[in-house]
Amino acid sequence: MRKALKEIENMLTAQGYISEPSIVMSIHLAKTLSRPLLVEGPAGVGKTEIAKVMAKALDTDLIRLQCYEGLDASQALYEWNYQRQLLYLKMDEQGSGSLSDKEATIFSDRFLLKRPLLQAITHHKSPVLLIDEVDRADEEFESFLLEVLSDWQISIPEIGTISATHIPQVVITSNRVRELSEALRRRCFYLWIDYPTFDKELQIVRAKVPDIDAKLGEQICKFMAAVRQMKLDKVPGVAETLDWAMALSALHIDQLDKKIVEETLGIVLKDWQDIRQTQNALSDLFEQVGVTSKLA
Amino acid sequence: MITRQTTLSANLVAFCRFLRERNYGIGVREESDVLLAIEQLAPYDTPELMQQCMKSVLCRSPRDLLQFDDLYKQYWRELDRAINSKIKEEPEITKSSSSAKKKAPSIQALKNWLYGNKTEETTEVATYSAGSVLSKHELAAFSEEELREIYRIVKLIAQALANRKSRRYTSVKHAAQFDMRSTLRRNMRRGGEILHPAYRKRKKQDVSVVLICDVSKSMDLYSRFLIRFLYAFQNSYKKINSFVFSTSLYAIKKDLLDKSIDDALQRLMDTVPDWSGGTRIGASLDTFCTHYAHKMLVGNTIVVILSDGWDTGEADVLERSMRHIHRKATQVVWLNPLAGSAEWTPEVLGMKTAMPYIDVFAPAFDVESLRAVVERLRG
Repeated sequence: MRKALKEIENMLTAQGYISEPSIVMSIHLAKTLSRPLLVEGPAGVGKTEIAKVMAKALDTDLIRLQCYEGLDASQALYEWNYQRQLLYLKMDEQGSGSLSDKEATIFSDRFLLKRPLLQAITHHKSPVLLIDEVDRADEEFESFLLEVLSDWQISIPEIGTISATHIPQVVITSNRVRELSEALRRRCFYLWIDYPTFDKELQIVRAKVPDIDAKLGEQICKFMAAVRQMKLDKVPGVAETLDWAMALSALHIDQLDKKIVEETLGIVLKDWQDIRQTQNALSDLFEQVGVTSKLA
Repeated sequence: MITRQTTLSANLVAFCRFLRERNYGIGVREESDVLLAIEQLAPYDTPELMQQCMKSVLCRSPRDLLQFDDLYKQYWRELDRAINSKIKEEPEITKSSSSAKKKAPSIQALKNWLYGNKTEETTEVATYSAGSVLSKHELAAFSEEELREIYRIVKLIAQALANRKSRRYTSVKHAAQFDMRSTLRRNMRRGGEILHPAYRKRKKQDVSVVLICDVSKSMDLYSRFLIRFLYAFQNSYKKINSFVFSTSLYAIKKDLLDKSIDDALQRLMDTVPDWSGGTRIGASLDTFCTHYAHKMLVGNTIVVILSDGWDTGEADVLERSMRHIHRKATQVVWLNPLAGSAEWTPEVLGMKTAMPYIDVFAPAFDVESLRAVVERLRG
């Protein structure tokens, strides 16, 4: 068992994704029992990244369905290419074909625009299907999704029922804007990703920004951990840590100081109130992080 | 009760049941999942791996994850004890849960409490809110003008709700957004010449509202105002159901509908015997959950609770019902008359318990505060 888990962990690490036991276990179970994986957690902790890394690790394609309010079947499943259909009809005006021939032609595969869900089930090899931020779509869409996820087939009135040739590996992410239905939860394995611990974050920074100064990396991660303890409106995620690390590394900075932090705080915090609050608490933060401020 | 099972699979099923009793959404499907997962992953090098594996399969929410490790340990500890002693003693957990059941008030006890001995708690409640805000808002007296303003605002809310546009489309006859799909379908029967365009527009969203208003003693000061609010709302918006509660819950839609306000108030006094009584938010919401929720919390429903959160019932009943309502409703709005004052914090146990399950929390003690609520509902 440990061998199987180790394999997954190695695959993830090879893709530059620093994992933890719960993530490895969930991916392993989702894969072996072919179940969707529902990933929840705060913004910017690498929920979407899991799907991307999974696709790379399994050496398959990633098909992404970005959910938003008002997402409906025509954007998730399929749509006819109306412009093309009209053009075809126009060009064929003088044609001798019967009406049923014409109809069979314009409602055929050639005129079908495949949207992510249909793409995923007709893909030539089992892909990773990422249904991103499912909580942004409405409940009706969620119920519709349940149907597709359990039967793996889609009915198109003009063509008939299309069944999956290969069942995709599904990853669903949610930011908890809206509570998901119990029915959807019960169809998936659940994974909660929280803000990383200091050690994990440091590993991530080192993996993603390899040429960063060792001391600076540590300081950044300590600083981020301290910032997350503050009661901010928008708590920065790992994505912000990486942005910041990359920026500071590009500026060839090897140590945090007050001036630099003040100048680059906009990379970490995206809310004016939060920035002000952090600036006011900067000395305290530095003390926690253990940075000796040059200006002090 | 935890008893010794001789096979691993029987133990796992017993553990699933143990979790189910603790509000984990575990059914037969999950039980078979666990067995499958365990089988797939054997052999296990360390017990932690098995625990991790079961955790991944059985947890469905952050709450589940948080409690899992403790429950897991607790279960196996109980099991060990059961095996070691080989006495069929009742484990602690089951004991406490059965005694909790006994503690839950029977209807008769509730009635006794309601009509007979008014306990000290009730008086305490009354002094609390009256003392803290009486001087600030003299709400009992309403001018004619203010009443009219309430109606106007309620009409605004009703309008805002009725005009909420859905993201979905419906077909219309008059010229609107062009609907390619049905245009093509419709014109194919005429040989493909596009002669009859089809149109579509945004559907209207069907929002229904459930209003639950606290009329216990502690709310006395506001309940008259709030009842007028309820009355106006019920009479200006179609899809709405109103309830009041103090120690138990009463459906009052019929009493409010199509009557003059005076008649309606009179009817209410007759319908609700424990007006200005004690407060049992938890028990009342629980009644709502068992008798009304399955009918009313379907589709797109906003639940509005008007209360100060001053509860004399048990917090876990309140929490359970709030969780249920939160899960079923589109939005849970809690309007608290006391929250208007600057020094107010959700210190009251009832309010604290309910807080995590509320989407919009706002003060509501006068016309001005209601207007602010309208703005938020629109968004």
